[in-house]
Amino acid sequence: MLESARSRLKAWIVAGVGTAAAIAVAGVLGAFAARHEPLPALAPAGRIETGQWLLRPLKAYATAEKYTYGALLRPGGKALVLELEMTNRTAKSTKDYFDLLQASQKTVDPATKPFIVLTRDSTMSPELHPGMPERMAYIWQLPDGAAVPASFNLTVISKTYKPRDNLYGLPGWFNPTPIGTMTIPVGAGPDGADMQP
Amino acid sequence: MTAEVLDQERRVGERKWRRRSLWSLVLLIPLALGVEAYDSVKALLGDNDLFARRVAWGQSTHFGGSDWKLTDLRGAFGMSNLPPDSVPVLADFQVKVGDPDLQHLWLGCKVMLIDKDGRRWSPTSIVSLKTTDKVETCVSAIFSGAKSGDTLNLRETFLVPKEATKSIRPAVSVAGERPRFLLFQLEKD
Amino acid sequence: MMMRKSANTILLLVAVAFCYGLQVSKPRYGDLIGPIPARGKLGDTVVGRGFEVHAEKIEFARKLTVDQYGQSKVLTTGGVWAVVTVEFAARAQSTVVSVASWRGPTGLTYDQTERLSFMNGLLPVALDPGLPRKARLIFELRPDEVSNATLLVSEKLVAALDSQAEISLGPVTVAADGLPAGTVDMLDMAQPL
Repeated sequence: MLESARSRLKAWIVAGVGTAAAIAVAGVLGAFAARHEPLPALAPAGRIETGQWLLRPLKAYATAEKYTYGALLRPGGKALVLELEMTNRTAKSTKDYFDLLQASQKTVDPATKPFIVLTRDSTMSPELHPGMPERMAYIWQLPDGAAVPASFNLTVISKTYKPRDNLYGLPGWFNPTPIGTMTIPVGAGPDGADMQP
Repeated sequence: MTAEVLDQERRVGERKWRRRSLWSLVLLIPLALGVEAYDSVKALLGDNDLFARRVAWGQSTHFGGSDWKLTDLRGAFGMSNLPPDSVPVLADFQVKVGDPDLQHLWLGCKVMLIDKDGRRWSPTSIVSLKTTDKVETCVSAIFSGAKSGDTLNLRETFLVPKEATKSIRPAVSVAGERPRFLLFQLEKD
Repeated sequence: MMMRKSANTILLLVAVAFCYGLQVSKPRYGDLIGPIPARGKLGDTVVGRGFEVHAEKIEFARKLTVDQYGQSKVLTTGGVWAVVTVEFAARAQSTVVSVASWRGPTGLTYDQTERLSFMNGLLPVALDPGLPRKARLIFELRPDEVSNATLLVSEKLVAALDSQAEISLGPVTVAADGLPAGTVDMLDMAQPL
């Protein structure tokens, strides 16, 4: 009886030491470092790389026009427009840019999906081709009666490439993760100059 | 001595059973393959139109819960704006609805034309001929809410090369009846 | 004894190398169910399971004019427009060809442009046996992806275990302005095929 209690105690001690050692090693290797780090602030006038895209924000403004680049707005409503240069960094034509930019909840209702338009000829969300920069506009409808902010916050979201996904064994881009935030000043109208790096 | 004899006997018995087991594999392996493949074969058959059931001209046949009859097959000659040497062909059916659960029984309804070489034409969207009659296509009929005893007039339009018009025959298949399908014969057959 | 030991070691190493080779060369699921290529070159008739395709000519242009709802519209591009005129034919059954892409010499793949979706004579085209049909495949390309490219055509987007026509388009000379030789300023897509 006493013998068995002693051996059990010994087993507990060994297991405890082992766990503590594992946690210590994980801590040294940086497993917990990612947890509390805030998202880095990105320079809005710079070039931003996500997995699939190279982004260069050009200008942001608010508009009350009925049609902005062919996108029909709610009557009487205002919209926030962000124009930016987007380059497809992947090897295939893609339109995987719907979750790329997230306007902060303070400015835009999170349920509002932006219109994404090719400014060249107002084509609604076309595929963009590898290595060909295009000027695109993200158009968010602002909540009714909301004042136009002087600037707004954007979260940039990136995906990672997997040569084989777990389901079909096919290549693809997965696991959207925020990589940074940026604050973009909102100009008066569509005629403002582009931001320069 | 006796132990040796016993051992000998046991060995013979063991050998006999081993041989039986080997021979049973000849039966068991094909059986296992058959059981494994059953679902795939069923899916393959249910996806293809393989066995034609011929329907004589003017006859009506029970198929997919309803009675099907070919009423007309004719070319619409003299239309402009079509590819050269092509003819729109209209196939008209009269269907007396038996079981009204069309959304289930007529699922994947396919009307086609088959010529003597086995080439198959599906309905076209290039030509649309206006009509004053109340006609439906096979797919629209599924959602027409027809009741048992109703008569539906179905019409499908095809685009067929001129050389094939002599030998084309209309055919109908629905998911519930595949791999069997109806092949309608014409008056001249 | 020493001999036996070293022989065993060598055998073990060979076995490890062999197993590694098997693991590395094992085809993936994606390769196993991938499209089945039907190869040819410009001017050939490439025969797939359900359709045939014959690429007649390639034209390059800086701009395209199209008719949109009765109005003429000019489409510009950041690269160069490539317009491939092809003839399709169905084989034993009516079918629809809906996907085409342009694979450049470095492997970059350009899908057919989506900026002309309102125009006739683009994919998807419905094909009936015995009635060949012409179509235009229109791409926006980087000028450096023009030469020695391959045109990929298939019926469905996921051409799993089905034919994909692979037409090699051959070399294209580049003019002094960096664009392909023979690039015209404007190509009218309202012209009949």
